[in-house]
Amino acid sequence: MKLSKNFTNPLAANNPIIVQILGICSALAVTVKLEPAVVMGLSVIFVTAFSNLIMSLLRNGVPSRIRIIVQLVVIATLVIVVDQVLKAFMYDVSKQLSVYVGLIITNCIVMGRVEAFALGNKPMDSFIDGIANGIGYALILIIVAFFRELFGSGTLFGIQVLGDWYTPNSLMLFPPMALIIVGCIIWVHRSFNKDLQEK
Amino acid sequence: MAINKNSNLYTIVYTVVMVVIVGTLLAVISTSLKDLQDANVLNEQKVSIMKAAGNENGDFDTMVAMGYVDAADNTFYAIDTNDTVSVDAVFKLLSDRKALAATEAELPIFIYNDKAETTYIIPLVGKGLWGDIWGYAALQTVDGEIVVKGIVMDHAGETPGLGAEIATDGVQNRFVGKLVYAGSEFALRMQKGGAKDEKYQVDAITGGTKTCDGVNDMLRNSIDKYKEFLENPIIVEPQKVKEE
Repeated sequence: MKLSKNFTNPLAANNPIIVQILGICSALAVTVKLEPAVVMGLSVIFVTAFSNLIMSLLRNGVPSRIRIIVQLVVIATLVIVVDQVLKAFMYDVSKQLSVYVGLIITNCIVMGRVEAFALGNKPMDSFIDGIANGIGYALILIIVAFFRELFGSGTLFGIQVLGDWYTPNSLMLFPPMALIIVGCIIWVHRSFNKDLQEK
Repeated sequence: MAINKNSNLYTIVYTVVMVVIVGTLLAVISTSLKDLQDANVLNEQKVSIMKAAGNENGDFDTMVAMGYVDAADNTFYAIDTNDTVSVDAVFKLLSDRKALAATEAELPIFIYNDKAETTYIIPLVGKGLWGDIWGYAALQTVDGEIVVKGIVMDHAGETPGLGAEIATDGVQNRFVGKLVYAGSEFALRMQKGGAKDEKYQVDAITGGTKTCDGVNDMLRNSIDKYKEFLENPIIVEPQKVKEE
């Protein structure tokens, strides 16, 4: 029961991007096309899941004074692994993601979940929480990238969807449009979740 | 006896052990993936060269001769493609953009032979608005004029939708068929406000003027070095190794 709530909560009701407003920077940067957004989402799922798992396993042994440093080392190591693997096996995508893979280290979602959840919970719960938060992040990235690629380039996953009659709206390719789309998602989400609305 | 987890000794030992484990792990991963990563970079260079020559799916190893133009006598000296050390040195130079831009004496060049046509592929390197831009220009000599057969460009961090458009086929195809020199003047360029002389100029990218200026400088600086060779190509084949 608790496990399933841990899993479903970050997907919508407590989504890291649209409720906690974390990880916005990369949501703007890698959502011009769907493919890099999907790969970025998978990378973040991997990093949040395993950083949560590892920190939860270490939680009783970490000296509290260097807690944050240990977290950073674990997260940075996982991110470097992802970066190296992408360069070896998905070179084109790794080029498109460029510096943003490295910047997963600074993604507030990862550090936030380790600090807020993994240090106080058992490894399995933490692992599920990491996966769920990663998926919550990836979902929003994919929704934003869907609209940006469709209307900005007339394609989805690089395949022409809208015909020649459609003039691609290059405004969609600029970062501010990602912010506006995220804003629209938040608007829709809050209109269905009355308890999130501020008075 | 319980361990005091807040003592200095514990903290230091903990840090040292952590760093050793993480360092070893990363070293192992990096070393084991290095060959694959290098192969990706090399393959990208070869595909770019073939794309510039207009045959993206062609086999680089059988269709392209590589070597240097010696700036002293403007002669092409081919490299034996079986000599992996020399071949690696060329691709290493292409990856090192700073060194490539500074190269004056031995200029790397690729020769693509297809039917009766000979295409010379020249590496390009320059600066865009935010960072490096680079690519390959495939040139032919037709009736004494140097003509663009194809151009491939890439960039490190130009603005998506604006300067970054130089990496798209739409922009690169504009160059096909343009003449490089008007008399002895370098004339090939991206012209702000639209091409005025269709023989030499192509439309610049609206909103990407600084990147286009960078492209113009890159084309001129990179191709000019080869001018005398291109006008009168002299080619020396590599000495064939005697087979036992």
